[in-house]
Amino acid sequence: MSDPTSLMFTTIFICLTVNIGMSLYGIFVRPSLVKKFIALTIFSDTLNCFAIALGFRRVVGSYPSIAVLAALPESPEQLSQLASTAVDPLPQALVLTAVVIGLAVYMFLAGLILMYYRYYKTTHVEVARGGRVG
Amino acid sequence: MRTREVVIAVSVAAMVVLLAYAIEVGGLGPIAPQRIRDLAATYLINTYNPWNITLSSLSLEAVTAIVWDYRGIDTFFETSVLFVAIVGVTSLLRGFREKTGLSSAGLSEIVKTSTKVLAPLILVAGVAIALHGHLTPGGGFQGGSFIAVLFILLSVTFSLDYAISYGISSRKLLALRSGGLIGILVTSLALLIASLILGVNSYIFQNMAREGAPLSMPSWFLDRPTGGTLIWFNTFEALAVAAGISLAFLVLSLREEEVEEALGQVEWYE
Amino acid sequence: METLFLFIATVAALLSVVATYLAIRARDMLSAVIFSAVQSTAYAIMFYIFMAPDIVLVYIPVSVGVLPAVTILLIKRTERYER
Repeated sequence: MSDPTSLMFTTIFICLTVNIGMSLYGIFVRPSLVKKFIALTIFSDTLNCFAIALGFRRVVGSYPSIAVLAALPESPEQLSQLASTAVDPLPQALVLTAVVIGLAVYMFLAGLILMYYRYYKTTHVEVARGGRVG
Repeated sequence: MRTREVVIAVSVAAMVVLLAYAIEVGGLGPIAPQRIRDLAATYLINTYNPWNITLSSLSLEAVTAIVWDYRGIDTFFETSVLFVAIVGVTSLLRGFREKTGLSSAGLSEIVKTSTKVLAPLILVAGVAIALHGHLTPGGGFQGGSFIAVLFILLSVTFSLDYAISYGISSRKLLALRSGGLIGILVTSLALLIASLILGVNSYIFQNMAREGAPLSMPSWFLDRPTGGTLIWFNTFEALAVAAGISLAFLVLSLREEEVEEALGQVEWYE
Repeated sequence: METLFLFIATVAALLSVVATYLAIRARDMLSAVIFSAVQSTAYAIMFYIFMAPDIVLVYIPVSVGVLPAVTILLIKRTERYER
């Protein structure tokens, strides 16, 4: 904990966890469906950020590189040198598709909230429990 | 009602504290280890490996290689989920018709002029990111999102009437979206069809030659590496994502008058 | 080098906590959307520090561009203030 790097990592992870807690509170408690929608986007973004942070690594004496070859390799040693400095590409590939699929699903959710408003004339979620209003 | 909210807040806070404690004490292992996982090292070594072509995908970028080659079927079904979600939006908000002449003139002249300067740059950046997905960071999803942002910017700045008067309609966007998905399907089956003609074995989503399947896609165009199937997948995916998100935005921004006119005098809510 | 980059990421994480708090607390939906976009910007900085340029390129158009646009459209169709 005395190491400043691990202290900063600890701070980042605690901040992400606090974000998860606050967005879950928003999803559970706030009555407006639009507010629940915004909290849901924050929640999924935080989970994506967790996945990316788990793929991070540390390299002694320098900073890790991106998982891209800068030029065509001329010998197999360059490939093993990339593998010894680059970050983990697998979480990035999973999060990449998750972000775009999430966008399409959020657009579908937005359409559902729009239809809810046309039917009940409000976005308050408690109204639906008492049956039809107005 | 107040007690319920307090109970939820206290339980969420307890979850946060316990989760942070579990992560920090080491429930997930050391954060940011110095040694990478073996699976990731395998991907990094074999991404562009001309000395071991039966495991390589001949793409300089590892993320695009994983997305479209090593885990290609996964990405194909995720693209299908995207398609189904867009179809859900359009069928949920049916009754949409492109109608011009409604009172909307867009934003002011200053915004319009600066958008005219900015729009070609965004388009070129999106296309370049999509087509160079196997060489630099980027790919079909990124380029498609850029082009969709361009459509949204134009439809907000110049009003939706302007976009519709240029011939953009939901049917055309849906056709482009379906064309992108069909292109992905054809690319994934291309080597299978070729091997059926030539009488050798092959896999679905095959990019380079594998053991027992000797065919590979052309991996060089003049003096540039193309990554085999990756450039085709990126192109079609950019088309699909751009058209799909633009279509969803177009349908979501429909106006109430159009719905009422399309539905006529029918009592709709009953 | 590493310390400087991680310090920037830490500042971005703290900013995202503040923005999330304000976004969840706000009664006005429009300001909640703006604070959510601020939180997305902080996350984009963190993705860049964590060496994920692919995610940055897809995250900036999606979470700072399209999603606030869709949410503002939704607020314009429905109601602005939470009861």
